Amino acid sequence: MIDPKFIGFRTTPTILRVDAWRVKLFCKAIGENDPVYWDTQVARNLGHQACPIPPTYLKAVEGDHCTSADLLQALGISVKGVLHAEQSFTYFSQVYVDDVVEVSREIVDIYEKKSGAYNFVVVDSHFKVKDKLAASNKQVILIRNKATS
Amino acid sequence: MKSHADFPITLSQACGPVRAIDLALYAAASGDHNPLHLDEQVASEVGFEKPVVHGMLSMAFLARMLTSHFRVGAIAHLHTRFTGVALRGQTLQFQAKLEQVVDQVAHYQLSVSNENGAGVIEGSAQIKQLT
Repeated sequence: MIDPKFIGFRTTPTILRVDAWRVKLFCKAIGENDPVYWDTQVARNLGHQACPIPPTYLKAVEGDHCTSADLLQALGISVKGVLHAEQSFTYFSQVYVDDVVEVSREIVDIYEKKSGAYNFVVVDSHFKVKDKLAASNKQVILIRNKATS
Repeated sequence: MKSHADFPITLSQACGPVRAIDLALYAAASGDHNPLHLDEQVASEVGFEKPVVHGMLSMAFLARMLTSHFRVGAIAHLHTRFTGVALRGQTLQFQAKLEQVVDQVAHYQLSVSNENGAGVIEGSAQIKQLT
């Protein structure tokens, strides 16, 4: 069992600028060819301030702040046997290339199933732009404990 | 589910076959450099015949299907459970089924399967009607 004392652990927020080149690489990787993501002028003509980021790009922004592996390691939790069980995003406003995003993460739950064979750590991330919450996400990490499985 | 002017009853898309270069590009762009997704040897050591497609890449394809149809900014909420794995070389099938429309927000059930028909992702999305 992972010590539930870690519930409530929060990372120190960091401030990151959304990098245009990295967003384009991400779009290339996911086969996103819509010019709104590639061409600032197309985006502006559609009423956007700049090229938008694809919805799950926030996971890359989150990783630049603190990856889940780094988070678990910082807490002394072994990352062996770790699986990404669930992922969700809630969007409040669109994030754009060149936006300055404040990112922070918080462990919101720790629980076990199957008599400790499966341990779960639930981590929320928050993305603020200009002090307003633009999006949040929730990741459920499954840690298989081989000793008791 | 009754048809709705702004929200089709189903959406579907195929992506792939997912190639080594797709996984390498995604690793670089996302920052997830886990060799399970890139290295055949590492994948075989944990029982996979080929490198495993990043779950977040499958989720990104799923989000792309939704934003392509409903436009940028239409997704209010997206949830996925990673129920299985897809392997390099496979083509993935994505599907969204409309469940209900509440206060102009469409609730879709999502699924992703690999080419053997095995489930990779189960999930849900809430899509806002954009004015």
